[in-house]
Amino acid sequence: MPTRVIMPQLGESVAEGTVIRWLKKVGDKVERDEPLFEISTDKVDAEIPSPAAGTLTKILVKENQTVEVNAVVAEINGEGPVTAGVSVPAHEAAPHPLGVPAPPRDHEPAASPAGAPLIAPAPSASAEGAGPKIRSSPLVRRIAKEKHVDLALVKGTGQGGRISKEDILKYVAGRSAAAATTGSVTPAAPPPVKGPSPIAFSRQVQVVPMTPMRKQIAEHMILSRRTSAHVTTVFEVEMTRIAETRAQYAAEFERRHGLKLTYTPFFAKAAIEAIKQFPIINASVEGDNIVYERDVNIGMAVALDTGLIVPVLRHADEKSFLGLARAVTDLAERARSKRLSVDEVQGGTFTITNPGVFGSLFGTPIINQPQVAILGVGAIEKRAVVRNDAIAIRPMVYLVLSFDHRVIDGAVADQFMAKIKASLENWSEAVQ
Amino acid sequence: MPGLKAATIAKKVVEPDVKTLERMLYYLKLTREAEQLLERVLYRQGKIVGGVYVGRGQEAIAVGSAIQLVEGDVVFPSHRDFAAWIIRGFTLRDVFLNWLGRAHGPTRGRENTNHFGDVRRGLIPVISPLGDTCPLACGTALVQKQRARGNVTLVHFGEGTTSRGDVHEAMNLAAVWTLPVIFICNNNAYAYSTPTRQQYAVKDLSARAPAYGMPGMTIDGNDVLKVYDAARQAIKRARAGKGPSFIECKTFRMTGHSAHDAAQYVPKELFEMAAKDDPLARFEKELVAMKIVDSKRLGQLEQQIAKEIDEAVAFAESSSLPEGADAVKGVYCEAGCVWQATGV
Amino acid sequence: MPVLTHLEAVRQGIWEEMERDPSVFLLGEDIGVYGGAFKVTQGMLEKFGADRVIDTPISESAIVGAAVGAALMGMRPVVEMQFMDFIACGFDQIVNMAAKMHYRWGPAVPIVIRGPSGAGVHGGPFHSQSNEMWFVHTPGLKVVVPATAYDAKGLIKASIRDDNPVIFYEHKFLYRRIKDDVPEEDYLVPIGKARIAREGTDIAVITYGAMVWTALEAAQELEKEGISVEVIDLRSLVPYDEEAVLSSVRKCSKVILLHEDTRIGGFAGELAAVISEKAFEDLDGPIFRVTAPDTPVPFSPPLEEYFLPNAQRVIDAARRLAAY
Repeated sequence: MPTRVIMPQLGESVAEGTVIRWLKKVGDKVERDEPLFEISTDKVDAEIPSPAAGTLTKILVKENQTVEVNAVVAEINGEGPVTAGVSVPAHEAAPHPLGVPAPPRDHEPAASPAGAPLIAPAPSASAEGAGPKIRSSPLVRRIAKEKHVDLALVKGTGQGGRISKEDILKYVAGRSAAAATTGSVTPAAPPPVKGPSPIAFSRQVQVVPMTPMRKQIAEHMILSRRTSAHVTTVFEVEMTRIAETRAQYAAEFERRHGLKLTYTPFFAKAAIEAIKQFPIINASVEGDNIVYERDVNIGMAVALDTGLIVPVLRHADEKSFLGLARAVTDLAERARSKRLSVDEVQGGTFTITNPGVFGSLFGTPIINQPQVAILGVGAIEKRAVVRNDAIAIRPMVYLVLSFDHRVIDGAVADQFMAKIKASLENWSEAVQ
Repeated sequence: MPGLKAATIAKKVVEPDVKTLERMLYYLKLTREAEQLLERVLYRQGKIVGGVYVGRGQEAIAVGSAIQLVEGDVVFPSHRDFAAWIIRGFTLRDVFLNWLGRAHGPTRGRENTNHFGDVRRGLIPVISPLGDTCPLACGTALVQKQRARGNVTLVHFGEGTTSRGDVHEAMNLAAVWTLPVIFICNNNAYAYSTPTRQQYAVKDLSARAPAYGMPGMTIDGNDVLKVYDAARQAIKRARAGKGPSFIECKTFRMTGHSAHDAAQYVPKELFEMAAKDDPLARFEKELVAMKIVDSKRLGQLEQQIAKEIDEAVAFAESSSLPEGADAVKGVYCEAGCVWQATGV
Repeated sequence: MPVLTHLEAVRQGIWEEMERDPSVFLLGEDIGVYGGAFKVTQGMLEKFGADRVIDTPISESAIVGAAVGAALMGMRPVVEMQFMDFIACGFDQIVNMAAKMHYRWGPAVPIVIRGPSGAGVHGGPFHSQSNEMWFVHTPGLKVVVPATAYDAKGLIKASIRDDNPVIFYEHKFLYRRIKDDVPEEDYLVPIGKARIAREGTDIAVITYGAMVWTALEAAQELEKEGISVEVIDLRSLVPYDEEAVLSSVRKCSKVILLHEDTRIGGFAGELAAVISEKAFEDLDGPIFRVTAPDTPVPFSPPLEEYFLPNAQRVIDAARRLAAY
């Protein structure tokens, strides 16, 4: 009896997943727990280990195909459980939540290298044109068009799995709320692109469909701008002490803990201390209420090739410097290798972003909803500054705080930043 | 049928007076000429489309009756009663504008032939389901009775139409309510191709009248003076509040049912006989005999009529056709509408 | 404010118009001495006299024709059909004479033809029909179908004052069964405007006549299951309130069209076409119809009950539609 490999549910509200990459092909031998395929969901990208040992006999869901949770994606012949996971619907090839095969969300990535012209049909922006129908209704399709919803992402609870008005309205509401409550920009990693996405040449343009992650980012950015009264304040901080400290302890730190001592834990610690003094920075807005979060969960934005992911360092205020350093490194690494769990991209209360890593002096970051502030760290550069009426060369950095002026006034923001500045410029903490 | 001798006429004649006689002659000749043009010229030239129905040979019936109407009276003429329109005040221009489907005609092109009327002039046209006007005539007569000004209603229909239920319902109603309505039956011997023996089982249709409770008479419908006299009696009765009457006017349809009908089902002899009994010829002869007109006067009359008709036809032909979009307007009367082209 | 039955409301409306305008008069069978088969005209002969309340022979065609003739003379006749089933006897006069006259050569034909229609009283095939569509389909006529006593009075008055031929349907089942506060004073309900009989959000039920009450009964039940039903009472079919229909459809996204009339060629078909044409993108489900089947109205109670749409059938349809 073959083992059915299913699409797992990563996250409570996730209804479907996209197979991004098969790590084995039909006929390959596979060990139990060996990575078998990679998926992308609304919340997170992940490697899925094989539920059984044996030979991969069938692949039922192609790369870039989206299927509902619990759909059978492959079969393995050999020892092991007959089914992997809970109840498995007896889907055959290309199962789809609504009982019809899912249209491919993006076309298969082309094998040719970037830049090579590809003749391919223009991909449709929505699911309808691209393949077999998703059952909905004229009203639902209109709403989908107006709200830029890919119906392939919406779970249908109507008859025969039809997407009803309720379903799509729930989805739209949930999408804003999900973006708000998870505190992440989007956890979905983009599909690994072996080449450029299929393109259609028309005059001088190249039409490339958005990846799921890109769509999520786009939606969240607009939503955030619409929600918060964004103001940005800029502080310049002298990093001399930090640089000295770092220089002093880096080697030891690495030897002892196997971790590189980067600047990040310093900024994080300074921010956490300042948050303790100004708890409004760690709050969120619900209607006419300000909700002060007890936990301090710092999101640390990580840039990936095709997007942004913000793993969350939970209970950051309870961590020592070492703990912070460890956590920051670990999260970044796993973010890059797509091994984050769902919990690790949810629940942030404050975010630190680092545009400086690519050389930006400072940016004006967009608040990560439903938070009310985001700290941006610019590039650390040696600059000529005035000290005691003389020019000195010091390592400087611009720190910016974008804050929500609905609940944080400029004075408070500036005092918060002043505290950070003071912490950094007068660093005296132990670094062990 | 022989005409009345001049002496007889002279003895009986209090009315119509000479003026009325001359008018009747004019209307008879006008009808004949206009219908000749409609049926045998304009239609065959393609200038008139659709159906063409004329009353050749039956002209005396409308002329002899309608000429006696006064203001407040109402007439429901049939398609064989051309003269009624002119007598009640419509112009030849009105008539030709309508036949040619023009925008400024009395129906704006919505109705054909003589399917137009004017309540102020007391003329209400038929609809193609003939006989339907009989109940309407009861309605107008009902109001005339209630207004008690002595007004009457005339309603015309053919012998074929008397087979329709509406005629019977109306005759019954008129008698039950003692209405001032005169039922004038034009018995021209053929209802399309159906001869009278296949239409009804009585000898004279007037026999039905007493069955409904009203007097009836059968007369020579080709004698305009006879028609006049019978109508006068019935009108007098009605004006006096004595109720309805039925007048059967026997005549002959000297053409097909319509312009496209060659009437080959009619034995040729009947046409020949009818031609000898032509109401126009008979009346002209009588008036000449009474020295009311001479051949010169007749000639003048003919010229005058020809000129009038030519002018009206030319006017109508040069008048514009309606815009297609007018078709969807005026289905409902809103806010005290009453549109009626009163003619030009 | 007095509470009147549907029937009394019609009577009061006619009475007031008779008092107000001497050109209004009545024709019909048994309407004078007998006061009408359903007593709608009771007392009117005594009050207004035999010239204005006229007992006619059994001649529907002649009665209608005479009314048309009288209308051309400036009167405003109101013709009673003892049962609207018998209107077929006067069909020609209505559709060929009355309906087309204004269009053809201009005069107004301000007649009202009114009478009891509808089933539910074991009347059999000729005392139970809903034949409004014969006249909805004839351009030139107006067709009015009140459901409440308040509307019955306001609409009969509006119909009498209308300059067009109006066919006015009084549902005999409602005659004495429904009551309403009916103001004693002069008021009109405009022809061509619908009424929201009940506000709702999930399913719009669009209907008229006795079925309005059926819809309300069903809506009450459905409320308990969490299905919020809006009921639109059309009040007239020609002209009808297209905007109210579309607005309700847009609001609820799902619609049931309900009428007691038989299915093929019923008003629901017309509405379904308009809704699908003009509110296609507002529909979250197919357009449902609940109607009588395509049969004559049967007599025996179990047969008639089967024939008539009832609250349960509306509830079943609503449940199916809600689950779609």
